[in-house]
Amino acid sequence: MPSTDRRRFLSSAVLGGTAVAGATALGSLAPETAFAAPRIDLDPGARDPNFAEGRITAISGSLLKVSGSDKALHRVYVTHGTSVWKLRPTTFDEIKVGDGLYARGVKMPDGALAADAVWVNIVNLDAAITAIDSGRLHLDHHGNKVVGHVVTGTTAAVYNHTPAISDLSGLQVGKHVKVIGAWRPDTNEVDIATVYAGI
Amino acid sequence: MLEWPASVQPLFIGGTLLWSGGLKCLGRSARRSAERSALPSLVGEGRALFAYRLTGALELALAAVLLLPPAYAAEAVAAVVLGVGFLGYLTYAKVAAPDSSCGCLSKRRTPVTWRSFARAGLVTAAALLGTQADAWWAGGLGAGTAVLLVAEVAALLALSPEADGLWLLPLRRLRIRMRHPLADRSFEMPLESSLQQLLASPAYRQVSPLLRSGLRETWDEEDTRILCYTAEYEGTAATAVFAVPLRHYLPEEVRVALVDESSESTLLVGV
Amino acid sequence: MGCSNSGAPAYGEMSWFCCGAAWGPCGSAGGGACGTCNSSSHQCAWPNASDACFNITRPDQCGEGLARRTCGHVFYVTSQCSGSCVSVSIADCGPDTNSFCGERTCCGSACASNRLIDLTPSAYSAIASLSTGLSPVRIDS
Repeated sequence: MPSTDRRRFLSSAVLGGTAVAGATALGSLAPETAFAAPRIDLDPGARDPNFAEGRITAISGSLLKVSGSDKALHRVYVTHGTSVWKLRPTTFDEIKVGDGLYARGVKMPDGALAADAVWVNIVNLDAAITAIDSGRLHLDHHGNKVVGHVVTGTTAAVYNHTPAISDLSGLQVGKHVKVIGAWRPDTNEVDIATVYAGI
Repeated sequence: MLEWPASVQPLFIGGTLLWSGGLKCLGRSARRSAERSALPSLVGEGRALFAYRLTGALELALAAVLLLPPAYAAEAVAAVVLGVGFLGYLTYAKVAAPDSSCGCLSKRRTPVTWRSFARAGLVTAAALLGTQADAWWAGGLGAGTAVLLVAEVAALLALSPEADGLWLLPLRRLRIRMRHPLADRSFEMPLESSLQQLLASPAYRQVSPLLRSGLRETWDEEDTRILCYTAEYEGTAATAVFAVPLRHYLPEEVRVALVDESSESTLLVGV
Repeated sequence: MGCSNSGAPAYGEMSWFCCGAAWGPCGSAGGGACGTCNSSSHQCAWPNASDACFNITRPDQCGEGLARRTCGHVFYVTSQCSGSCVSVSIADCGPDTNSFCGERTCCGSACASNRLIDLTPSAYSAIASLSTGLSPVRIDS
């Protein structure tokens, strides 16, 4: 199905109302009883077999070859059902060799990971703002300097649970922030997705 | 000619060593500072705190003899030796343990940078000048020496990352308050805002155990933002499509449908 | 399913951190305060893992009376957004609770205040998306 038709179909499915032949209506069920949430147990210290981490060394077709930081080698399959995050939800063709990656999915019998979700270059930094200039935050991350780039149309600020907004003028030099962003490989620079700040 | 500026150097160096030695000996976070410095790799993990405190005690002792009368030339010479030794330590830290903190003048973690070297150089130069003094510093106090001391203390603070909170950060705050470079007056709704609303919605809580992927795709339809996830429903792969109000915060109005894209059929709808 | 069954759970904000061998700005993270931490195992950082740790994180300054739990202790962490639960063992000290006293995160009517626990990426991604930086959770021993 062409992409515009597909989107039109998906939009109409959710916006078309509840009168869909053959579909089950969820409305009467209490949230907690609708479906059981899974519990994930793993022996302390054991590696999660359904998770992979590392740098991408090669891309062939829909397969990512990943060299784990602990020297393990992973093969990660990305399908049309896999979500790809790289600063924002994006598509497979945005993934590049040299990118860092976290992936979650299901381990297949041949040892490869069929990914449900991959997060490319994602970082989570607790840092202090040391300076602000046009389009950039200068951050002190455990004594290391990190430059955070503001990406117009993407970067959002959350000030203590207020709804996220694109206006970053509430950020203050000297204050601690949490930054979710996308690392620019082999630099000390990140593009900022969300910055969480106190008031 | 060098006598008047030389005469007050013991006061400047003594004050600096009081600050530095006091923090090393009496600071509540001395253990953490010692562990983060280059001392563990220089003298071993077990002896780092002892070496850190010993250095602090030496600095305090030297500060005492520099500040109290009588004045001996050997005091300034000892300060020169300490300064040169510290420059050597910084060089070692930069080469052998580049990630370590300098452990210098505060409990804050401050990596070794050019400012650390410049500051140690300043103190060493002041100590060298101090060797030219021939009397106790109190006798040399005057308007000229006061200006010199203020300039030296200002230079010391300017070169100390630990003191940035006193002057540099307030200065930067003032500049930003006058002209905030990151103010954004656009009406664009960030995706994060829609995600917050989605997470707060009953619709999301109803189907979230079925979701397998992160956010896969999003687009806007007039006043609604559509968000798609991969889900698993009764053993088959499906797409969970959420419709979130774009410009209003109304989580209870978020709608959801579970769709089988291969057969173009809707499996489940919820409001 | 057996996760939320203790008498005195803690409710707070959860985030994620990297440790062990890692790439990017995480590269210098090391094995954590317990020396065993790595991003691919289900582990966590806890603000009251030792005296030295408590002196840094100071959850008491945000009004949080967290129990002392040391390296290897297992918690059950349940997402207030999805209801999913993961078991994690303590491998590091953190988060820096007192830097963000009073901060709140909600999922629906379930809200949680103060940063009480950080999970490794493998554990966090089992119950939430890594692109959400903060999430409200229930913590049981």
